[in-house]
Amino acid sequence: MKRTSLIIFILITSLSAFTTIEERIFNVPPGWPKPKYDFTKNPLMPGKIALGRALFYDPILSRDSTISCNSCHSQFTAFAHVDHTLSHGIKNIIGTRNAPALMNLAWQPLFMWDGAINHLDMQPLAPISNHDEMNSSIDSVVIKLQRSKIYTSLFYNAYGGHIVTGENTLKAISQFMLTLVSDQSRYDSMIRKQVIFTSQENNGYQLFKQNCAACHTEPLFTNFKFENNGLTIDTTLNDSGRIKITNNENDLLKFKVPTLRNIEFSYPYMHDGRFKRLTDVLNHYTDGIEHNETLSNELQKPIVLSSNEKVDLVAFLLTLTDRNYFFDSRYSYPKEVFFKNQ
Amino acid sequence: MKSKCIIVLLAFQFPLFSLFAQTETDYVISFHPEYNHSPFRLLDTFYKIKSGDSIRIETFRFYISGIEFLLNNKTVWKETESFHLIDAANENSLKLVFHIPSLISYDQVKFNLGIDSLTNVSGAMGGDLDPTRGMYWTWQNGYINLKLEGNCNLCKTRNNEFQFHLGGYQFPLSAIQIISLPAHQGNNMVVNIALDKLLEDWDFTYNNHIMSPSKEAVVFSKKAADAFSVPEK
Repeated sequence: MKRTSLIIFILITSLSAFTTIEERIFNVPPGWPKPKYDFTKNPLMPGKIALGRALFYDPILSRDSTISCNSCHSQFTAFAHVDHTLSHGIKNIIGTRNAPALMNLAWQPLFMWDGAINHLDMQPLAPISNHDEMNSSIDSVVIKLQRSKIYTSLFYNAYGGHIVTGENTLKAISQFMLTLVSDQSRYDSMIRKQVIFTSQENNGYQLFKQNCAACHTEPLFTNFKFENNGLTIDTTLNDSGRIKITNNENDLLKFKVPTLRNIEFSYPYMHDGRFKRLTDVLNHYTDGIEHNETLSNELQKPIVLSSNEKVDLVAFLLTLTDRNYFFDSRYSYPKEVFFKNQ
Repeated sequence: MKSKCIIVLLAFQFPLFSLFAQTETDYVISFHPEYNHSPFRLLDTFYKIKSGDSIRIETFRFYISGIEFLLNNKTVWKETESFHLIDAANENSLKLVFHIPSLISYDQVKFNLGIDSLTNVSGAMGGDLDPTRGMYWTWQNGYINLKLEGNCNLCKTRNNEFQFHLGGYQFPLSAIQIISLPAHQGNNMVVNIALDKLLEDWDFTYNNHIMSPSKEAVVFSKKAADAFSVPEK
């Protein structure tokens, strides 16, 4: 009997030793779907996350070392670009789209407003190379990193050697971005039965489920599809959206359905940042829809909301704010890396 | 009794051992880019095309992937992690060495010109697939299967440049090509790439830039695949 329990004990302890570090670092919140990212190809490791975090905050990625990822993705706004309808890059050049908030990227299948990017690892290549953003290239970034003392040790800690390659650089940035999980909003607490919504929030939630949830599906608040949400085309930009990527005319004026998590702080809204306030967005959905051939099926029938209902709906949207996410020190500027002696 | 058992077991294991210990042999595939049956040179040579105009090539790079040896259309050996960047500017890259089992018989070698769709959506890769190798699109993801750049006086572009970056992995604009070539038993194979076949009748006046997945990229990729051949003995 004693022997059996000993064997069982040994079995359990040896099995628990197989729990990977990644499982401990990355937890899928209860009730959330399986992440899209294949962690087996890039298992999360503290050293690699630290390297990715340094790269995310370092302007070394841009041609003249002035712009970092953080320039357009600030933690205090859920990694969105506050105050700018269109994001700006190197030498203050204005781009053509609004930089989206970054969170829960492990679940996202395609990236960019038009889905041009097919994998999280490859996402940084676009801003690094874009003439209006960082105007550099991954090969020159790698050369700069190879010459840097800071990165010699960071790469050593991450990869066990001074192996600065494009692959390792991109995978490290992915590691940091994968850790950006926002799941501590009031809505999440309500789902976990830790708080109860006010009657206004609850009414807003019911209205949300009736009118918005088809595209902004819980729990990630996006169905990850591309839709035409009836915006009048901005003739200063003439952005035709996903059709540029697929060459499929059914994709004309379609853009990625963004998550609504942390929407309170990720203004301005839409791919071109045309709406500053949440009420502008709601007014668009009730009164501003332009009907054209590729308009989303979900918007064919008008959305009718009274002004009181709009207030309730906004009250619900505010429950999607995750303040812990804005102040989580794991995601913040790694001053200990860049200012070691201070 | 016990010792008998061990002997029987060992006897069974012996053939297994010998199977695993099968010897390997090196097999070399050499790519020979040519123009009108003469060795092709980058940069310093001008080549005639059918219209009487001339072209000069600055860059010629492409991916070979998924190499297989076949006998009667059945795979007898397949390279794992089989991705090779061939660059006319890098002599060493033109020769690929494979360690194949010495006992296999084959009559055909098959490979892809380009990178398969699964690899295209699998994130960052190293070695010849590292995005620093300059064969990856950054604004819209995907590998560039083949890059051919140069000048032709017919191109009404800056410095008469032409640039063909062939890629695209999604239906119906998938540009990857399968190339099957007859192979003789031995230890090496020469693959000619007749660039004249690819370029001499190309309409450089109207088609001088292919930079994204497109019908033109598919057409040009097919033409490129047709330029690969094994010299007749």
